[in-house]
Amino acid sequence: MTQRSVTFTKEQIAEYAEASGDHNPIHLDDDFARTVGLPGIIAHGMLQMGLLAAVAADAAGGPDRLRRIYCRFAGMVVPGDTVTFTAEPAGPRRIELRAVNQRGEPVLTKSIAEVD
Amino acid sequence: MAEIAIAGRTYPPVTFQIAPERAAAFARAIGADPAAGVPPTFAAVYSLGVTAPQLFGDEEAAVDFARLLHAEQEFTWSRHPRPDETVTSQGHVASDISRRGMRFVTFETETTDGAGKPLCRSKALFVVRS
Repeated sequence: MTQRSVTFTKEQIAEYAEASGDHNPIHLDDDFARTVGLPGIIAHGMLQMGLLAAVAADAAGGPDRLRRIYCRFAGMVVPGDTVTFTAEPAGPRRIELRAVNQRGEPVLTKSIAEVD
Repeated sequence: MAEIAIAGRTYPPVTFQIAPERAAAFARAIGADPAAGVPPTFAAVYSLGVTAPQLFGDEEAAVDFARLLHAEQEFTWSRHPRPDETVTSQGHVASDISRRGMRFVTFETETTDGAGKPLCRSKALFVVRS
């Protein structure tokens, strides 16, 4: 089992916005995020998935071995949340993935990776 | 404004060169090793990232970006691109369904290499709250 816990910060979310080119203000601007009914800025789902895929790649023996990854963005992640990403082999070519916050709530669900 | 269903709509292909420093910055942002090549989910940039703006900018599609949630994502790779490689991605709307006041748009992107061989397929489900 491969596992990594990450405490999200505004700086990290901003770094992902810059690196990915996704500058949606719901990830960068608390005031804007509140105007669309959010508690404040939230992490990109794709940042969560990127972190999950990095853990999956470690479990698979390298990023080149990943052939498929799927997840559902089930819960919001806000700065200060700690998410534990877990990858566990579940058959010759399957890796089961989990991402759970500090309250035990899954933030990514039905997550699965396939490797070659 | 009532949106029109846009299932089947295909957008023009977009070419993107994977700048090594950009892929490395992305790797650092997700806690991956920048020396290990292009991170798999850099597909969020070279595949989904270059094509989704065509959907969001399509006035006829009328996808309200401010009310949009990225609900599900899948990437499938034939192989992973290398730094400096130039790839081409084409997006299309696989389905567009309204249900209980919500709109569900499935957006698929096919990414190919310079020889036209498949690299990556992205399948995103966007939910637009009313």
